[in-house]
Amino acid sequence: MRDSDHDRQPHPRGDAHEFAEERESLWRITLAPTIWAFHFVISYAAVSVYCFRYDHLAAMGTLRAALIAMTALMLAAIAWIGWRAFQRWDVRGTGEFSNPEGNAEDRHQFLGHAGFLLALISFIGVVYDTLPLIVLASCR
Amino acid sequence: MTRNTRARHVRFLRSGWLLLLVPFLLAGCDGRQSVLVDGGADARILTDLFWVMLTGAVVLWIGMNGLFYWATRRSPAPHSQRMANWLVILGGILFPTLTLGALLVYGLTLMPDLRATGDGPVIRVTGEQWWWRVDYTRDDGSIVTTANEIRLPAGVRSTFLLDSKKVIHSFWVPSLGGKMDMFPGRVTEMTLGPERPGIYRGQCAEFCGESHAWMAFEAEVMAPEAFEAWLDAEAAPAVAPTSAEAGRGAALFLSQGCGACHAVRGTPATGRVGPDLTHVGSRHSLAAGRLGTSVEDFAKWVANPGAWKPGAEMPAYDHLTDAQIGAIAAYLEGLE
Ligand code: HEC
Ligand SMILES: [Cu+2]
Repeated sequence: MRDSDHDRQPHPRGDAHEFAEERESLWRITLAPTIWAFHFVISYAAVSVYCFRYDHLAAMGTLRAALIAMTALMLAAIAWIGWRAFQRWDVRGTGEFSNPEGNAEDRHQFLGHAGFLLALISFIGVVYDTLPLIVLASCR
Repeated sequence: MTRNTRARHVRFLRSGWLLLLVPFLLAGCDGRQSVLVDGGADARILTDLFWVMLTGAVVLWIGMNGLFYWATRRSPAPHSQRMANWLVILGGILFPTLTLGALLVYGLTLMPDLRATGDGPVIRVTGEQWWWRVDYTRDDGSIVTTANEIRLPAGVRSTFLLDSKKVIHSFWVPSLGGKMDMFPGRVTEMTLGPERPGIYRGQCAEFCGESHAWMAFEAEVMAPEAFEAWLDAEAAPAVAPTSAEAGRGAALFLSQGCGACHAVRGTPATGRVGPDLTHVGSRHSLAAGRLGTSVEDFAKWVANPGAWKPGAEMPAYDHLTDAQIGAIAAYLEGLE
């Protein structure tokens, strides 16, 4: 940590401000993995319930199309979240990869970094989850 | 390097090379229970999968070790940030994502073939402690009950309805295809399409208690006409004993209460607790692959089942004389 951090006179409401921002960003980085989790649960539950008892209600193709449409929306959302996080990280602007310093600006960028990576892995996870829907055409 | 350490290195290398020979030694086994022997299309698909995965793993292993070698011996100097970034992006993200994705798609495309609908006999197999109850449903709806052996016609897909009495078992004939778990109270379905006639070996593949390892069975793939003839014979009631000794055995079988647990169709023995013994003399093995089917094997089993299968749910009959056991064995061996 830099000495200047200790010497610096705190802004009267600096703490509150900083905390608010951190909290907001922390929530934001969980968004993409949450979408991934919902995608997983919804896809698996829908297909297993359908194949267990309700396969007379609709064609498998309809269920697959619906789930693939849901997937497309979720992927778009994750991509958007990832893009916002990438901008927050601002690696191209600052040239700084890992933001090792503990000030508010660094935390902000670091959370962008983490959010970007989480969005990336969530995107891959959702694509993998969807492959069975695309390749397998029946309940067997 | 001293003489001593050199000798040790040589010894180590030699033992290392010996290890490499192990697969070839194993390949010398008869392969009745080998995944690499393909008795049908399912096993072939799985064998291909195995070789693809093995080749990929070997290439990756060599590649990674090559990189280690390169990074520690050839070019140990630090890399530029740019180079390191690309290494992480390409080697750490792109390559594994694409490789795993490709493997996933490949694996998924194999599944429909392995799960094709059956067009052959429907066979219900129930896992018991530690044996297999087997029921064939015939075209006219009648059911033929046998045990501890599966026979299948070559060239069609047979359907298995798998069930279990008490604990989870798993039904597996490695040379014919994949395995499927058997759950108490829930019927799972599997199909197998064997092509090459022969006698293969199946094995319970889910730990189910003391004698789990002794819970095996023979699976014979037959020409379709031979299969039909066999099923006709299996549906028929038991043959009457042909010798005086076997006749005494039949009487003992009933008087000793064997019939409370075992059925021998056509006789008063109708028990359903243990395996159906109507045609036990024509089987390839005894007690779920534990023993052969000679008169001696029958005698050994009846005298003391627990000696061959710990925990077997059949009492020992060691109070009988050798002559009595011999008579029972002669009777059972004659039940063809
Ligand atoms: C309490 C019930 C019970 C009684 C009584 C009983 N058995 Fe069994 N028997 C079993 C069970 C259970 C098995 C299967 C054991 C295993 O493989 O783990 C078995 C297996 C066998 C087998 C091997 C069957 C096969 O499919 O390979 C033979 C043969 C046999 N019993 C003969 C006899 C004879 C002969 C008697 C009478 C002297 C007898 N049993 C009495 C329960 C019984
Ligand atoms: Cu078992």
